[in-house]
Amino acid sequence: MPRYAMIIDASRCIDCKACLLACRQRNNVPQGYSRNWVHPFPDAAAPLGLHFQPGACMHCDDAPCVRACPTRATYKAADGSVRIDLARCAACGGCIEACPYNARYRHPQTGLPDKCDYCAGTPDMSPACVQVCPMRCRAFGDLDSPGSPAAVALAAGNPVQRVRPADNDTRPTLAYVNGTAPLDWPQSRPRPLPLEAMSWVAGAVTVLGGVSLAGCAAVLLKNRLAPPTENDTVSRGDRHDHD
Amino acid sequence: MTMIRRHSAPAVFMHWCNACCWLLLTFTGFALLANPEMQPVGRWWSDLWHELFGGLGLLRLHIFAGLFWLAAYIVYILARCKADVLPFLREILAVRPAADLRWCGLKALWLTIGPRGMRRLGLSGELPPQGFYNAGQRLVALIAVVCGVMLALTGLVLLFLSGASASASALRWCLLLHFCSAGVMAVLIPVHIYMAALAPGEGPALRSMLTGMVPLAHAREHNPLWARRLEAEERRS
Repeated sequence: MPRYAMIIDASRCIDCKACLLACRQRNNVPQGYSRNWVHPFPDAAAPLGLHFQPGACMHCDDAPCVRACPTRATYKAADGSVRIDLARCAACGGCIEACPYNARYRHPQTGLPDKCDYCAGTPDMSPACVQVCPMRCRAFGDLDSPGSPAAVALAAGNPVQRVRPADNDTRPTLAYVNGTAPLDWPQSRPRPLPLEAMSWVAGAVTVLGGVSLAGCAAVLLKNRLAPPTENDTVSRGDRHDHD
Repeated sequence: MTMIRRHSAPAVFMHWCNACCWLLLTFTGFALLANPEMQPVGRWWSDLWHELFGGLGLLRLHIFAGLFWLAAYIVYILARCKADVLPFLREILAVRPAADLRWCGLKALWLTIGPRGMRRLGLSGELPPQGFYNAGQRLVALIAVVCGVMLALTGLVLLFLSGASASASALRWCLLLHFCSAGVMAVLIPVHIYMAALAPGEGPALRSMLTGMVPLAHAREHNPLWARRLEAEERRS
């Protein structure tokens, strides 16, 4: 099974935004929305006074969006990518709220989440953002295949950096080489309250349902082994009724 | 043995229709919660149902069962409003706080420490006489009605407004309410099945859910207020 990842050399980015346009076109992203980004950050050493940091879904190994999804419509696939199975999606938007990178948007027509899936709709082609970049900022491929562009970019010996919230290591698989900053701009977000409460309710149902089932089974067994006498069930003419 | 009618044929049919739908909906609904942190049975449960039906198939089965359950209830409520539904609601809303609290307390003690334990505590275990339903049945029925209405409303919102027409926040709260209602019923259903079908002396009550008829002697013992009312009505007529 391949282990896909995207490697970005942000030092090459000139903010031409070809990656954004190509992605929108190939994936039918509606006007005003985007699956990827180029964030400008102040950098006094740069010729324009700005450092451009391209990005997209980080396909985290410990993804907050996966943890927020009640139905596992968002899941970590065996190939390393974080995928969305729209057939299982309840459109609750928990994944969108939970992502610290703002990597997802709610599709204005369907109400369903959408994000980078490495252009899964065109599996025989490299992701559009990788193909179109004139500066060759982005490399994509199987990290376990030594000849893949991603593996080559990582093996070049440049320092590898990952962008993540300061207080939550989401273990992003998207990596930056040749230096980028800042690395801690993403903000951790709690799982939306109703979804957090669903995990509490699940725990309560497990315990109380278990007690309910075990209690009924125990009383049933007790009654089978030692049937109650008439004196036990009748009390001064009013029988203990059941519900 | 004199038999009297306790449940109408449509009520018996709806009871078993409700039971089948509710079990299927609880099983499939819990299976849809594939996130291990929100899964009340265990990951194996979700995996099993997804293996059997696939993700989309499982969702369709849940939706089909839910819509069938709701349609059946709407037809039943419209057709049997005066004959079954309103009398049922009147019965379960007939609260007698002091007697009901005493009944529930004594019953809980009887179930937990048993009749011998109660005798040791100096309690006779004498229960206040009950009507068509006892206090426990009325409480469970009331919870079932509230949860049923909640499940139907939130289910309809999740089904028909889950696109862009409802806010994601509203859908999340609906999911939580839907799950809470199902969870409450999942805890109560085993108790109901035991006490109505498996507990000693409940044979006539269980058979009445198949035939609609119950022995008069059984009604006099278990539901003396109801039996007296029936006998009084018979004398008047």
